[in-house]
Amino acid sequence: MKEFLLEIITEEMPPAHVKTALMQMENRLADELVSNKLVDEKANFGKIFAFGTCRRLILHGSFVEKQRDEHEKIIGPPKSLAFNEDGTASPAAIGFAKSQRVGVSDLKVIQTGKGDYIGIYKTEEGKPTAEILQKVLPGIISSLTFPKMMRWGHSTFRFSRPIKRILCLFNRSPLHFVVNGVRSENYTTGHKIYSPLKLKIETFAEYRSLLKQNRVIIDPEERKNSILKQAERKLARFDARLHPDDQLLEKLTYDVENPYVFLGSFPQEYLKLPLEVLSTAMREGQRLFSVLKGKRQLPYFLGVADAYKDPKSLIRKGNERVLKARMEDAKFFWEQDLKAPLKKKSKILDQILFQERLGSYQDKTERLKKIVAYIADRLELREEKKAVIEAADICKVDLMTEMVREFPSLQGKMGGLYAKEEGFAPAVWKAVYQQYQPVSLDDSSPSSLTGAILAMADKLDTIVGATGVGVEVSGSKDPFGIRRNAQGICKIILDKKLSFSFSRLLDKVFSTMRDRLVREKEEVKSEIFDFFKNRLQHIFESQGYRYDLVKASLAPGIDDVYHSFLRLKALDSLKESPQFEPMIMIAKRVNNILRGQPKHKVNEDLLLEKQERELHTTFSIIRDNILPLIAVGDFAKAQRMIFRMRSSINNFFDHVLVMADDKRLRRNRLAILQEISQLLGKIADYSLVVIEG
Amino acid sequence: MSLQNLIMSLQKFWANQGCYLAQPYDVEVGAGTMTPDTFFRVLDNRDWKVAYVQPSRRPTDGRFGENPHRVQKHFQYQVIIKPAPSEIQKMYIDSLTSLGIDLMEHDIRFDEDDWESPTIGAWGVGWQVLLDGLEITQFTYFQQAGGIDLSPVPVEITYGLERLEMFLEEKDNIFDLYWSEDVTYRELRVQEEKEFSEYNFNQADTRLLQSSFQINHKEAQRLAEEGLLLPAYDLCLKCSHFFNLLDSRGAISVTERVKMIGQIRFVVNQIAKKYTSQEGST
Repeated sequence: MKEFLLEIITEEMPPAHVKTALMQMENRLADELVSNKLVDEKANFGKIFAFGTCRRLILHGSFVEKQRDEHEKIIGPPKSLAFNEDGTASPAAIGFAKSQRVGVSDLKVIQTGKGDYIGIYKTEEGKPTAEILQKVLPGIISSLTFPKMMRWGHSTFRFSRPIKRILCLFNRSPLHFVVNGVRSENYTTGHKIYSPLKLKIETFAEYRSLLKQNRVIIDPEERKNSILKQAERKLARFDARLHPDDQLLEKLTYDVENPYVFLGSFPQEYLKLPLEVLSTAMREGQRLFSVLKGKRQLPYFLGVADAYKDPKSLIRKGNERVLKARMEDAKFFWEQDLKAPLKKKSKILDQILFQERLGSYQDKTERLKKIVAYIADRLELREEKKAVIEAADICKVDLMTEMVREFPSLQGKMGGLYAKEEGFAPAVWKAVYQQYQPVSLDDSSPSSLTGAILAMADKLDTIVGATGVGVEVSGSKDPFGIRRNAQGICKIILDKKLSFSFSRLLDKVFSTMRDRLVREKEEVKSEIFDFFKNRLQHIFESQGYRYDLVKASLAPGIDDVYHSFLRLKALDSLKESPQFEPMIMIAKRVNNILRGQPKHKVNEDLLLEKQERELHTTFSIIRDNILPLIAVGDFAKAQRMIFRMRSSINNFFDHVLVMADDKRLRRNRLAILQEISQLLGKIADYSLVVIEG
Repeated sequence: MSLQNLIMSLQKFWANQGCYLAQPYDVEVGAGTMTPDTFFRVLDNRDWKVAYVQPSRRPTDGRFGENPHRVQKHFQYQVIIKPAPSEIQKMYIDSLTSLGIDLMEHDIRFDEDDWESPTIGAWGVGWQVLLDGLEITQFTYFQQAGGIDLSPVPVEITYGLERLEMFLEEKDNIFDLYWSEDVTYRELRVQEEKEFSEYNFNQADTRLLQSSFQINHKEAQRLAEEGLLLPAYDLCLKCSHFFNLLDSRGAISVTERVKMIGQIRFVVNQIAKKYTSQEGST
C-alpha cells in the first residue's frame, strides 16, 4: 500500500461548497480506482479520507502501487494443423503468430480438453497507480460542480473560488498535472496570515503535523471539538452555556483554520431586548454565539476567531464595539416599531404583494382568517377559534416593521413579540410567533394549538395558491417552498395528532381563492394529494419505517393524514407477530382471486356450505366490531381482530370451491371475499407488503 | 490619524500597484461600482487599473445625524483591476498592513458574500472582509455587468472609509472621527446629515421625483438609441437616485419597485450592449 495525498488550496470557499466538493471528489476517485482495477479486495484497499477547511480540499488514502499484471492464454489453431509434414510451421501457424505480433518460435503447445493446440502466453503488465492518478485527477478536479460557480482571469474554467495551488503526492513523490494553469507540486502553505510560506511535504503524517505547527487544523471534527471545548472552558465560571446553533457552529468550523474562542461582553441595557433579537444581532454579520444561563441571556457572547491568541484583547474589543453598534440599531428598531400598534400598521398590508395573482398580504390575511376558522371548527376548538382568528388578522404585519426589514430571518417571531408587548393573549401572540414553524423536519412544530392551526393555514394557502396559479416545483426550483411547506403541515398533523378530512380542508382553501387560480380545481387537488403522499412516504421512511409497510398504509388514502400514520404504526407493531405473514398471504390470495371481477352482492340464501356460512357470520361480527375502531383510528386493535378471521378463511378455502360451476354460487362466494377485501382495504393494502423467503 | 491620511495612504498604495487615480464622479451614485470608471471599463477586454474615492448616497440609511453608525452619505474607496491579479488577496492584505494594521494581532476573515446590483444588471462572487467582526471591505470578482458576461474577470475592492477609520481610531461614533488633524467628521457632515435626512424622509416631493424618474428614463432611452452612451448612462444614474429617494419616502410598492428597477436595467443593458459592440468594431 502506498500513500496518496491531494490538497487543493483556494481562496475562501463557503462551507457548503467545501462539503459538496469533498463528497464529489471522494466518490469520483473511488469510481476511478474501481474502473482502473486498483482495488485489492483482499487487502483493505484504498479507503479514501476527506478533510477540509474554507481554503483547502484534502483527500488522503492508501492504494496499491500498480495494477495487477494480467496473464492471458491465447489459443491458436490445433497442433495437428500447425505444422507442415517437414515439421516447419504451417501457414495457419505463421498467420496466427503474425496476428499476435510474435515470432513463430514464440508459439507454444497448449494442452486443452479438446486436444493439443498451439498458442501463446501473454502478460499484460499492470500500469503504475501514479500514472493513472496523474491522468484522472485533472478531470476529477475540473468537473466538480458547486451551487454557484465563478470564472477568473481570462479563462472559462469554473470553480467555487480561484484555485491557488495544488499539492499531490503518491508514494512520497509528487504527481504532476495541471488544472487551469496551476501546476501540482509537493508543497503546501500554512495559515494565510501567520504562515504563508511554502512547506515541502513527503507524507500525510508530516503534512498534518507541519500544518498544525503552522496554525492549520485540517480535520473539521477536530476544529469543531476544539471550539466546543474552548467555549466550555470560557463559560465554566458563569455556569452558562452557548445558545445552541448548529448552523453557526458548522459555518465557523469551516470558516477558520485555527479556531480561537474569545469571550466578550455588551452593556446590560440591551438585555431588555428579546433573546431572539439579541441572538440574531450576534449571529448575523459577526457570527457570534449568544450565552445563556438557563433560558436567560447573559450580557456576554462568544466569538470564534481564525487566530491562536489575542494577547492585547484587540479581537475581543473590536468585536464588542461592532456588536454594541448593532445592538444600538436593534434597540432603535424595537422602540420605533413599538410606537405604532400592529393593528394600525396592518392598514398598509395591501401595499405588499404576496404574489401577482394571489394578491397582497392583505388578501392573504383575509383568506387565512377564513381557513383558521374552518380548521378550528373541524377540530371543535371553540375557545381557540377566536384567538386564532385574531392572530391571523395581525400575523403578517411584522413584514412592515423595521426589525424584520433589517433581520428578515425574524419574520413571524417579531410579530409575536410585538403582539406580546402590546398585551395580546398568549394564545394569540404565540400563534403569530410560531406561524412559520416547523421550517424543517428537525425544527419543532408550534407548541400552541393556535400556532399549529395558523401555521397549517398559512402553508396550505401558499401551496394551493402557488400550485393553482401554475408555479412549478422541480429540482432546486421551489420559489414558494411548496415542498418545505407540505412537509411542515404533515409534521404538525403528526406531532399534534390532528384528525380531519384533508380533502374538505382543501375545498375550503379553494373556496377562499376562487377566480384567482388559473388551473382546474380537481387537477390541482389531485396533484396536491400526490405531493403530500410523497412527502409522507419520505417522512415515514426517514423515521425508519419499512418502505413496503409505508406504501401499504398509505394506499387506503391520506384524506385523514393522521390515520395513515396510525395505520402504519399498527402494521409496524404487528409485523413480528406469528399471525402477520399468514394473514398477508391470505390477503394476497383473496386479492388475486378477485382481480378483474365485477362487483357482486352476497345472498345469504345461497350460503350452502357450512364453512361459507361460518365465514360470513364471523366476518359480519368482526366487521361490526372493526368499523367503529377504524373510525377512531385504533388500527392495531382492528388489525388484531382481522387476524381472528384467519381460521374461518382457511377453512373456507380448504372446503369450498370458489370458482364453482354454478354461476350463482360462484358470484356469491366471490361476493363474500369482496366484502372481506373491502374491509381489509380500510386498514392497509396488504398486497404491497413484501414477504421474504 | 485621520480620514484624509487614510485616503492618502490608500492612494499611495494603489498608485504603486499601477492604478490610475481617478477623481470622484459628479453624479449621485449609491456605490462606487456605478460610476463610469467602473461600469464601462469592466465591459471591454482591455486591461484596466483604477482607484478612487466615491461619495455614495443611500437615502434610507440617513438617521438625522443622530445614529453613531448610519449616514445617508458615506465615502467609499474603490479599486478596479482587470484582469484580477492572481495575488490580489495578498495585495489587499498588504494594503491593510500599509495602514499600520498588524494582522498578526487581529482576526481577518473573508466571509462569503456574493454581490449583485439588479439596477445595472451586475453580479459577482466574493466576500465581505471582516476585521475583528467589522465589515471593512467588499471584495468581488465581477462576473456580469449590464447583463454581459465579463472577460477577463475584473476584481473590485470597495473599502468603507469611515468603517476603516473607526477601526483605526478605535471610535464608537462616526461623527467623532477626524477628517484632518483638527477638523472632525461632525463639523463637516452633521448638518448635511440632518438636512438631507429631513429631505429624504419627509420633504422630497414624490410627484416631482416620479415624473423626474420618467422624464430622465425617457431621455436616457433616446440618447442610448442615438449612441450617446455616456450621457445616457448618466441619466440612468439619476433615475437610480430618484428611485432611492422615492424608496426612502416609502412611496414605492413592491410591484412598482420591481418594475422601476427593470426599467433602469433595460436601458443600462442596452447601453452595455452598444458599448461592447462598438468596442468590438474599433
